[in-house]
Order: sequence, then C-alpha cells, then structure tokens
Amino acid sequence: MIDVFLVDDHQLFLSGVKAELSEVFALAGVSSDVDDAIEQIRSTLPDVVLVDVHMPGGGGLAVVNAVLETNPDIKFLALSVSDAAEDVIAMIRAGARGYVTKSIAPSELADAIRRVNDGDAVFSPRLAGFVLDAFADTVPAPTDPELDQLTSREREVLRLIARGYAYKQVATKLSISVKTVESHVSAVLRKLQLSSRYELARWASDRRIV
Amino acid sequence: MGSFSRNPEEDSISDQTVDQPQRRRFGFVRSVDDRMVAGLSGGIADVLEIEVVYVRAAFVSLAFAGGVGLLLYGVLWVLSLDEIPAERVDVMRERFAARLPRQRLALWILFAGVFLTLRSMGSWFGDSLVWSATFISFGFALTWSRVDPSRRSRWATQTFVGEGGNWRSVALRIMAGGVFMTGGLAIYLNSVDAYALVGSVSLAVGLTIAGILLIFGPWVWRLVGQLGAERGERIRSEERAEMAAHLHDSVLQTLALMQRTDDPKSMSMLARQQERELRGWLYGPEPSADGETMRSALESSAARLESAHQVPIDVVVVGDAPMDEAVRALVAAAGEAITNAAKHSGAGLISVFAEAADGTADVFVSDQGCGFVLDGTDPDRKGVSESIVGRMERAGGEAVISSGPGEGTEVHMSVRIT
Repeated sequence: MIDVFLVDDHQLFLSGVKAELSEVFALAGVSSDVDDAIEQIRSTLPDVVLVDVHMPGGGGLAVVNAVLETNPDIKFLALSVSDAAEDVIAMIRAGARGYVTKSIAPSELADAIRRVNDGDAVFSPRLAGFVLDAFADTVPAPTDPELDQLTSREREVLRLIARGYAYKQVATKLSISVKTVESHVSAVLRKLQLSSRYELARWASDRRIV
Repeated sequence: MGSFSRNPEEDSISDQTVDQPQRRRFGFVRSVDDRMVAGLSGGIADVLEIEVVYVRAAFVSLAFAGGVGLLLYGVLWVLSLDEIPAERVDVMRERFAARLPRQRLALWILFAGVFLTLRSMGSWFGDSLVWSATFISFGFALTWSRVDPSRRSRWATQTFVGEGGNWRSVALRIMAGGVFMTGGLAIYLNSVDAYALVGSVSLAVGLTIAGILLIFGPWVWRLVGQLGAERGERIRSEERAEMAAHLHDSVLQTLALMQRTDDPKSMSMLARQQERELRGWLYGPEPSADGETMRSALESSAARLESAHQVPIDVVVVGDAPMDEAVRALVAAAGEAITNAAKHSGAGLISVFAEAADGTADVFVSDQGCGFVLDGTDPDRKGVSESIVGRMERAGGEAVISSGPGEGTEVHMSVRIT
C-alpha cells in the first residue's frame, strides 16, 4: 500500500481528497501549513506527497525544496487550482514528478499517485503543451544538446499527450510499450528539471518564474 | 526627554512617576516607522508624546558634549525593546499623561542640568562647538516640529500649518528656529575666525542656501512623502473597488445561479465557465493590440461551444500564428469538429490541441466517445465531415478524420501559415 501525505491549506478540499484517497491508499498524514508539513513529512516518511502549490509561507515550492534536500526519495505530485504556466514549471523544476489540477477526477488522481510512486512522471495535456512550447525549435542549438532538446520521439509522445491521449493509447498509436512511453516522459521531466536551455530560461523569466 | 538621555537618573525618575512600586524596569522602545538610526528617539518621543526632533536635538547636543550623547544612545539602544505592541505604548502614555506638562518641564531642566554638569566636568569639546551644535540642532527641531506627522492633511496649506495651527504661530516658530540656527552658526564661525571668509560671496551664498535648506527642507520632504502616500492609497482603493466590481459581476452572480440549479451537470458547467473567466482575468494576457491570433480565436471559440453544448473542452495551444484567411478557415473547421463531437460522440471531454510551427498550423480535435463508421450512412455525420474537409481544402489545407465505432474520433486539420 502506498503511503500518501496531503498538504493543502484549504480544509474543504483536504477533507474531500482525504475521503477519496483513504479507500485506496494508506494516509500517512495531512497538514495545512508549510513548516508543519515539512516536519511531519520528515518524520512520517510517506511514499508520495500530494502538495498544493499556493499556500501562505512559501507555498508548495518551499515544502518540495526543504524535503527533497533531506529526503530525496520522497516523491511529490503537485496539485493546484491554478494551471498557470509559471506555477507548473516552477514546481516541476523544483523536483515535483507531476502536476495535476484540482478538477481532476478521483480515479485519475489515484492513477497519477500510483504512477508517481512508480517513479514515472505525470503529464497532463496542458503540461505537455507547456513543455512543447518551452522546448520549441525556434532557437539555434544550445550549449548542451543532450539536455536542451527533445528527441523527435519525445516530441511525438508529448504531442499525443497534449491531444488528450492516455499513456496506453499513446503506446498503441506509436506501436511501443507503455513502459517505453513512461521512460520517454520521465526523460522529458529530467530535461525540464535540468536544462539550462536559453529558451526555457527566457520562457520562465517572461512568466516571472526566475 | 532630556532625562532619558541620562542613564543613572532613569530609575529614580520612573520610580517617582509611577505609583506601582513593583513596576518592571522601564522599557525603552524603538520605533519601527520613525527611525533614523535605531528608532530610539522615535520610541522615546512616542511614549512622552513630544516631537521626535526634540529628542534627536538633545542627543545631538549631548553628542558634542564629550560624546556623551553617542554613548547614551548606544547604552539605551542595548536596553531598549525591539518593538513594542501598541497597547504597551498606550499604557506608558497613560502613566505619563496626567503629569505630562510638569514632567516635560522637569525633563528639560534635568537636561540642562546634566548639560552644564558635563561642561563643568570638562567633558566638553569646547564652548563654541557645543553651543553652536546645540543651537543649530534645537533651532532645526523648532522649525521641523511644526507639523504633527500623524496628521494626514490633504492640502498643502494644512501640511504647512498643521491642524489647528495658524500661519502666525508658524511664522513665529520659523523665525525663532532661524534665529537659533543663525546664532549657532555665528558662534561656530566666530570661533574659527571665519568672518574673514564670509566676505567671500560664494561662502555667503552657500551658507544662505544651507540655512534655507535646513529651514524648509523638512517641509518639502514631508510634503512629498505625504503626497506619495496619498497617491498610493488612492491607487490601492481604486484597485480594490475594481476587483470588488469584477467579482460581483462574475463570481457572485455565478454562485447565485448555481444555488438555483438542481442539475449537477449544468452546475459543473457553470463552475467551469466561471473558472475559465476568472482565470483569464487573473492570469490571462492583456487584450493585445494586434488583435486576434490563432490561439485566442481557438480559445474563445472553444469557450463559446463549451457553454453552448455543455461539454467540457480542454484546449492546449503550442506556438501561435497571426490570423489570415487560412487560419480563419482552420479555426472555423475546428469549431465544426468540436460541435460535431459535442453533439454526437457522447464523450465527457473534448480535447483540442493546436500547434503552430515550421510553417504549418495543426489542430487536433479528439474525443473518447462512441465513434462512427467513416463510410457510414449517417447523413448528419457525413455532412459535417464533408464540410470540415471541404472547408480545409478550399483554404489550401487538409483534414483527416479517423474514427471507428467505440474508438472515439479524431479530426486532424492543417494549413500552411506564413
């Protein structure tokens, strides 16, 4: 059973998600405060932390940064009402393995948690669109082509995700296994986190991320 | 305030003035919003309800008396509390209030006493220097103390005169302050035997300007600060009003509407529509001057169809293209594909993905609905499919429809862009 920890400052939402998830997952704890969450996560050591992006006291970003510093194995799935590009990219670059909006259906949320727990990335169509935008081919080859560009296969996978395809459908469409789709997506996530790509940096600063 | 410049007397004074014998050590407080060094003078002035400039003048004068002022400031800084809750200040004020006039006089006398004691003890930088510093700093305090900073006067006249003040008393104060400052300056110049230099025009002009600055500078400074604060306040309140108006017209209306609805589906559509509007208002780009682009056209068309057909439509756009005939046809065809999916597929969600790059604009409209046989006989479906394909071909692009029963439907439209 996967241990899930919830961090959200909206009590109403917290209790709703708690009820949905407690049937499928073991609930390691809940917190509605940044400092308290960091402390509790460090002591309860859950598998997956579901963290709200917008909270007083530094928000989800502060929680992700602080916990990953001491416990790099804990996986984060960001959850927010806002799917503004700057929030998405900031959370992913801090180390979250996925990003879903709060309007996500309960079953999809459970799927996303399982996937994050397995070490895979969770890309919503919108996030796939943001990434394609950020890695757009409009600038000359940057310094580190390994990190700074998406392969054409990764691009294809992202396009299909952006078109609303589930991972399984992507696999069927490209005649590859679901595992391969997942590894492509994880590779994209890594590039998104590590790339110093000029375009990504500019894109981020345009949206006041850095 | 003079007494507070003196450490040894501190305890005895506070013991006399306060009836409770068990009172805790007098806590000096440092002012947060009225500070030049550590806010110590501001804190003292706050409790004693005197003008902060007088406290500062006292410190300056004592500083010239053998550096005692500096020493005292440091000691009091260490003893003082960092920041004080407002109620604590009120308590202190209350204790002082009843005897305030007498006490102020006592404090002045004590200040003078200590000042002269220091002089006779020889802890002194020389008569001329100390006296001129004292005169100048108190003259400065006199001119600067005209306006109570806590009063927010709207007009310049009020700013200069202060509430309940009049020009006559103001003029009197300026004159007195000016005389003090000039006197102080004269003492100093006399001591350094600089009268010879005053003969030089530039020095005279410089001294005049310095004097004027000393007298009028604070006014101008305060006036500017007040105007800035008022402008900031006005802008803030305008923003608040605008936001309140917007929320009232949108969010509150929708919430009211939702309370009158029993149908969960239309409730969630209302919520979705409102969310989109609010999101657009909060994070969306300003309406751009160069008009519609592919992105904005697709998004607004999808929003319109979403409310018309009550089916959620997710739009993801990568890149953008300016509107021309081809892109207009693309957006229109995409609209037809969305309508088709909304009417016939039965899917709970329609995904729209558009990408503009490398001279091509692509739009994919997909659903996970019932699908249909492409060569089927459903005339409605067929007609719409043809209108999509035909429209795209006329615009020099193409449209490919892939579907099958139970497989969902995807329409891929593309045109060349410039």
